[in-house]
Amino acid sequence: MSSLPEKKRNIQKEDHSSLKGTLTSVFILGGFILITWLSVYFLFNSRF
Amino acid sequence: MHMHKFEKIWLIFGISSLLFFLSIVGVSAFYLGNQPPSCLTTIDPEKVDETAPFDKPGLNKVEGKDWDYELVYVAQAFSYNPLEVEIPVGAKVKVIATTKDVIHGFGVAGTNINMMLEPGYVSEYVTTFDKVGEFLIVCNEYCGTGHHFMMSKIKVVE
Repeated sequence: MSSLPEKKRNIQKEDHSSLKGTLTSVFILGGFILITWLSVYFLFNSRF
Repeated sequence: MHMHKFEKIWLIFGISSLLFFLSIVGVSAFYLGNQPPSCLTTIDPEKVDETAPFDKPGLNKVEGKDWDYELVYVAQAFSYNPLEVEIPVGAKVKVIATTKDVIHGFGVAGTNINMMLEPGYVSEYVTTFDKVGEFLIVCNEYCGTGHHFMMSKIKVVE
């Protein structure tokens, strides 16, 4: 997106590239999935 | 191709979790031989009472097999036969069940025995009853107006 005309650049200039929030959200979700999966896995193994 | 460093990180994390979970299921199915319990052998639902082994429901001792007993159950709307059964602790049992009419569930609460009984099919599950106690069997597949009354009891005794 570096080919914006000069006069629009000042108004529309914003930082697209902070993905820190996305990374955090993905890891929180991933952690939730991992923990619940492992909990059920161990529960299953403990039962006959 | 330009990929953001974070995108690389979560893609690696996501794909590795997927491979990890798939491997567990794969090993369980192909190496350990685990199968879904339901819809194995076929049977004529109208002739269940005359077809072995359902002509003798309950716990039956068997010889020459990988398991010591066969626990044969017949489900119908709205009861299980047998209504109660005693199993010696430590016994390796193959649970064999079918239904005479509609789809029923066969869930032994607190255990991993959980299967659907579909008319025309025999469901099986092999397990070792290594815990003493009373286990309730409930129908966990809606089968009609008496669905919530369907139950049976397994007593694992010394």
